[in-house]
Amino acid sequence: MKINMMNGKTWDFSNMTRLTKWRYFTSFISLTLMILSVTIISVKGFNWGLDFTGGVVTEIRVDREISAKQIEVLLAKSSQQEVSVISAGEPGRWVLRYSQTPTSGDVSANALDITQVLSPLKSEVQVLNSSIVGPQIGQELAEQGGLALLVAMLCILGYLSFRFEWRLASGALFALFHDVIFVLAFFSLTQMEFNLTVLAAVLAILGYSLNDSIIIADRIRELLTLKPKMPIADVCTSAVKATFSRTMVTSGTTLMTVSALWIMGGGALESFSIAMFIGILTGTWSSISVGTCLPELFGVNSEHYKLVPVSDTP
Amino acid sequence: MRKQTNSKVLNHYAAWKYVVLVVTFIVMLLSALPTLYGEDAAIEIGAKAKLNLTPLQLNSVLKSDDIEVKRIDHNSDKTLIVLADDNQQSKAKALLSSYIEDASGLTLALAPAAPDWLLSLGVKPIKLGLDLRGGVQFLLDVELEPVYQLHYDAFIDSVRQFARQQGIPGVTVHQNADSNVAINLANPDYKGKVRQFIANNYPTWQVSNSDNSGLKADIKADEKIKIRDLTVKQNLQIMRSRIEQLGITEALVQRQGEHRIRIELPGVQDPAAAKNVIGATASLAFYQVKQEGSVNAQVLRERSGNPVYVARKPVLGGEHIVDARASLGEMGMPEVVINLDRSGGKIMSDFSRDNIGKPMATSYSEYSRDEQGKVRQTTEIISVATIQSQLGDRFSITGAGDYAQAQQLALLLRAGSMTAPVTIVEERTIGPSLGAENIENGFSALALGMAMTLLFMGLWYRRLGWVANVALLANMVILFGLLALIPGAVLTLPGIAGLVLTVGMAVDTNVLIFERIKDKLQEGRGFAHAIDRGFDSAVATIFDANFTTMITAVVLYSIGNGPIQGFALTLGLGLLTSMFTGIFASRALINWKYGRDFSRDVRV
Repeated sequence: MKINMMNGKTWDFSNMTRLTKWRYFTSFISLTLMILSVTIISVKGFNWGLDFTGGVVTEIRVDREISAKQIEVLLAKSSQQEVSVISAGEPGRWVLRYSQTPTSGDVSANALDITQVLSPLKSEVQVLNSSIVGPQIGQELAEQGGLALLVAMLCILGYLSFRFEWRLASGALFALFHDVIFVLAFFSLTQMEFNLTVLAAVLAILGYSLNDSIIIADRIRELLTLKPKMPIADVCTSAVKATFSRTMVTSGTTLMTVSALWIMGGGALESFSIAMFIGILTGTWSSISVGTCLPELFGVNSEHYKLVPVSDTP
Repeated sequence: MRKQTNSKVLNHYAAWKYVVLVVTFIVMLLSALPTLYGEDAAIEIGAKAKLNLTPLQLNSVLKSDDIEVKRIDHNSDKTLIVLADDNQQSKAKALLSSYIEDASGLTLALAPAAPDWLLSLGVKPIKLGLDLRGGVQFLLDVELEPVYQLHYDAFIDSVRQFARQQGIPGVTVHQNADSNVAINLANPDYKGKVRQFIANNYPTWQVSNSDNSGLKADIKADEKIKIRDLTVKQNLQIMRSRIEQLGITEALVQRQGEHRIRIELPGVQDPAAAKNVIGATASLAFYQVKQEGSVNAQVLRERSGNPVYVARKPVLGGEHIVDARASLGEMGMPEVVINLDRSGGKIMSDFSRDNIGKPMATSYSEYSRDEQGKVRQTTEIISVATIQSQLGDRFSITGAGDYAQAQQLALLLRAGSMTAPVTIVEERTIGPSLGAENIENGFSALALGMAMTLLFMGLWYRRLGWVANVALLANMVILFGLLALIPGAVLTLPGIAGLVLTVGMAVDTNVLIFERIKDKLQEGRGFAHAIDRGFDSAVATIFDANFTTMITAVVLYSIGNGPIQGFALTLGLGLLTSMFTGIFASRALINWKYGRDFSRDVRV
């Protein structure tokens, strides 16, 4: 056992610099991808969902033979505007979306009677669900969503700076930005609908992304107090190494369950699952790459943790 | 702290801790069980409905129309018919309405399908959100501008009258574009007098000097908030009583934000009927008819366009209306019989006593939105009747149109009258088949995720994997139990997604502990010591890691609407329960099984 440990240590040392270099390299990749992501978001924008824009979305089931074109022509004729007809997974099931004409009265007064509009198709039309959202509600929700994102970030920032020293906290926070921007960029690039459920996923990612970063930061703090003489790059690397198997197991089980949601959850949860999936992947990645490199860059060292009570470290 | 744990027996939990654990688990299991059985659609017939069929007759009536009945509970004040097929609820209700006297005694309900012994413990199934159950949801906007306008109008009238009475020369009062009131005085010396009047009579208004020798007055900000809250509350009440007429036991009417009302009608498939009751906003008011060209009069028009000069302020507003029914009067004319509340009756009685032989006009106002989204009020005089005698709490008006229109008007008036117009700004309908599909999708995802996680943990941490798995199963039971217990907790589709995420993340607690134990074992400690140290060193980390997710769950819950709140709820509760089972329950299990195992060559 002991020889093993000694062995491990010497092997560790030669390996340490190599691993550290890997860490720097991954950070470089992350930074490049982040710049790319920001560019994508600013150029392409988002395909905002009904929740944020207002409008009408109806999901219907008709005979399998009926094509999207047939539905589109009929709808466009009665609504006098462009209508998007998207397949909803199974044949004969369609999602119809159009914006509202700003006329008087309640929002529902402007919605088309789909069954009536599609009656020339001579098919049984089953309305599975329908949502009509007024434009001002969408506007408000968008503002509220932005506010929630901001408040959550501020609360997390507050907690982190209270619990960790700012240099360590900065790494976790940067990793957080990294993950959120990545998920947003994915939705911008693919132009998948960004709706309220996706926003909820983004907020959940805020929480989960930090999970990994915090656990590594915890280790760094612990190592800094235990081995004050150790070079900081080695501290970070060995913290990543020590927590690596935990990071993999937890990310693995979470990814597994999220994939289950993706496969079985149906259309309503699809974009949520995709957002979570990407968020967890990048969350794990960023906690190892940028999450540890930034504190190093800021020069975190054992001096910053001299006063920390040792009670929560063994 | 280390000393303390050393002086105590290593890895020992007191017996009471095990008792707490077992009792918690059993209570939560019992609370979670009814959800497994689900709920059946049912129809409740209250005593008010005056049903004249015996349960046996009921059964045969329903059966003859192909409606399968599971059971009929009958007691003195109500009859509950539990249906076998949830989709036949509306059909059954329509059928039954022909066998009873008062249709409002008939309500759609849900009956828990769990066995009686379970229900007798007072446990209930988890409430399902609209996205899982199907139904209609409305979001209403309460328009406050017209309400404020009433206050402005009254104020302006009053100041004008004061100036006239006091003989203050050259006073003009008008409302500015930014909706405060400008009072211009030809002689600035009277400023103090006007200010005094406002301070005495309108303490909720604030007055300031305007740029040009006049005064500026506006309702105080906190008073505006008060008016807003009162208005919304009143509308909530009105909506509740209107919704009651639809006969849905589990309908939800609640305030959302500053001036919105959310209405959820589970089980309703056709929004049109509900919309007729909710969406139409009409109000009645009774006016004294004035002489043509009278100064204090406003002009309202009849349907035919004839002008009617009426007093600016109505004698009585619709909010005093207690009940209104359509009936056929003596001449066979459709009429609406109106019952007033006490104060309304007194006002009407006083007014009509002094005005016998004079005409009184009834106005009907309707609110709608124009192209710019502004609320437009159209007021129409529906009848001008001569007061024949002193009216009391109960009187009738005619001229509302044909019988169907009279009925419609009566229905609206019965639930009270709107003081602020309400418009539907969001409407969502979820078909029952989609709801069922969502449940199926959600729970099969949960089952798959759960199965994969259990399998993985079992294989990865062979020795300790079963502990994590027992903890995970217990976690789910407790989570479901809590969801059923917490009042107001609703399970939605995103909520199920939160459950699935919880499954993935809950094992993290165990993983963190197990990895620490592994570390300690590698450092050469015995198993029991490694367990002790492993738990101790992991707890702070676990707390740190879960806290940030908790923050986002709380933020989500506070800003979100229905489905998103469901997600935040399961996410947040899941964190709590996973910490409970991950730390407390798994420690108890490990202590009991491995607590005294001091061997050094253990692999986990």
